[in-house]
Amino acid sequence: MFNKSKSPGIGQIWNWKITAACALILLFVCTLAISFGPIHLGFVDIVKTLLGAGGLSGQDRTVLIDLRLPRMILAALVGAALATSGAVYQTVFRNPLADPYLLGAASGAGLGATIAITNSGGNIYGWLPIFSFVGATLAVMTSFFISGKFFAEPNTLLLSGIAVGSFATAVQTYLQQRHSNALRPVYNWILGELTVANWSIVSWSSIYILSSILVLVTISKKLDGLLLSDEESFSLGIDPNKLRMIAVAAATLATATAVSASGLIGFVGIVVPHLVRGVTHRVTNRSLATIALVGAAFLVLADLGARTILSPAELPIGVITAFVGAPFFLFVLRTRRVSHS
Amino acid sequence: MIKVEDLTVKIGNNVILNDISLEIPHGHWTCLVGPNGAGKTTFLKVLLGVREYSGSLQDNGVEVYRNHKRNVAFVPQNPEIPTGMTVAEYVALGRSKVDGWGNETIASRKFIHDVLVQTQLYGMHQRHVAQLSGGEMQRALIARALAQEPQLILLDEPTSALDLHHQISVLNNIEMLKSRGVTVISTMHDITLAAMYAERIVVMQSGKALLDGKASEVIHSAELRTAFDNRINVYTLDSGRPVIVASKDDSTN
Repeated sequence: MFNKSKSPGIGQIWNWKITAACALILLFVCTLAISFGPIHLGFVDIVKTLLGAGGLSGQDRTVLIDLRLPRMILAALVGAALATSGAVYQTVFRNPLADPYLLGAASGAGLGATIAITNSGGNIYGWLPIFSFVGATLAVMTSFFISGKFFAEPNTLLLSGIAVGSFATAVQTYLQQRHSNALRPVYNWILGELTVANWSIVSWSSIYILSSILVLVTISKKLDGLLLSDEESFSLGIDPNKLRMIAVAAATLATATAVSASGLIGFVGIVVPHLVRGVTHRVTNRSLATIALVGAAFLVLADLGARTILSPAELPIGVITAFVGAPFFLFVLRTRRVSHS
Repeated sequence: MIKVEDLTVKIGNNVILNDISLEIPHGHWTCLVGPNGAGKTTFLKVLLGVREYSGSLQDNGVEVYRNHKRNVAFVPQNPEIPTGMTVAEYVALGRSKVDGWGNETIASRKFIHDVLVQTQLYGMHQRHVAQLSGGEMQRALIARALAQEPQLILLDEPTSALDLHHQISVLNNIEMLKSRGVTVISTMHDITLAAMYAERIVVMQSGKALLDGKASEVIHSAELRTAFDNRINVYTLDSGRPVIVASKDDSTN
């Protein structure tokens, strides 16, 4: 409807062709990710295997089905979850530097993971996702509880998120101090890792992440109203407190799931929304589906880098995202300052 | 008709609005005047439906609190300015209630275009709202309200911090809304301007409505002077137009 040349010239608010283009980019990146690695798999063979028409066999088939495919899908899910949650938090808190870990999700998950690692004898990875998920959710809920009335003041919630985060980090540090053998696994987890990806993790995390993103994309057009004051958004037909509650709950569920499935992967939640908004010059949340697609592509690509740059050794994926993310973050800060001066 | 009966608003133990009862007719411009802290802005928010109150506030027989069925535009004194949003997008938000969020029809886009032209914003509609001057921002707010096609528009100090030229331009835009049958309720610190544009004036002080009535009558009333601690003088120009100016404190003479 927006693309009709006959409509009056007030400019397009969002062009859905961009969303379609990003979906194609994601598809391309995913194909690269399952082809490349220490063992190269041919594109035609991959397609044949996936369609069940012969193709790969033996070790190659195992590499594709049990290693690369779940890992690629998990990277895409986590990237989409973090990017979407970041964009939503930035809108809800009207703060362009907000990230998905703002309300204590990261520190809560970190504490949960540390408890799992320090207390489990053998099967660390069985308990780790559950503990970190519970930790992240509890931390965010505590932030809500401390801030008192739900969203009476977004800044209060933000500050209580910082307080809860510091507390969880303090407990985590204490536990690490007491169990020095846990330092390395905790450290690896904090840097983020997708090496543990398997179909079981993919299946449960996809349920939470996809349903959260579905909710967020459904309400994305309304989210623009939260960029205004509460009185203005109310006058435009929104119940701002209710909408913020839904948005934060869905974004938190997606973040907690992403963190528990893959550890702490930084900067995706800030870099991707700003990248999409910067390139399209559009601040509207109609871009949320696109942000999810680009987030997925970004993390699949970052994971490909993590697997191949020092091949056969692996870099933690958090190193790659931070390596790209940190300079970009400074760039965002700088352009913000320029636009405000 | 907006009917206010025994309206009281409290924040903790502070009484912000104290037992207000009055009637505001539709189709007119009513202005709330009074010193800072009189409760004018709170009264506007109650009229919008976002603030809890005791007593009754009915718009055409329906209580206003959290009532989303009314189409009321709100122009705040200090709006939240969304970074990176263009003027066209900002004004288009006004169609949300009519079309549903993000579902502007072709007719709506035409309407937004016309509103931008009327408010002299067309040409700068691709600029970011954050880059607008105070006067332009105020016009963008009015344009969004126009796009909303409201039954009632509430404006909090629409002319504060504007130079005289922009004050007149904004007030003329509000008159344009009124000419389309929209009920206008505003606060205004400049009582001379209030008397010039508004048909009815409500005088407020310390959370109470001291007087309400026709602008021409209220302006010469003792209540208006009381509200400002007798520190204003009302003069009448040869044209019959009243001019209200601050008087020097007598006790210092």
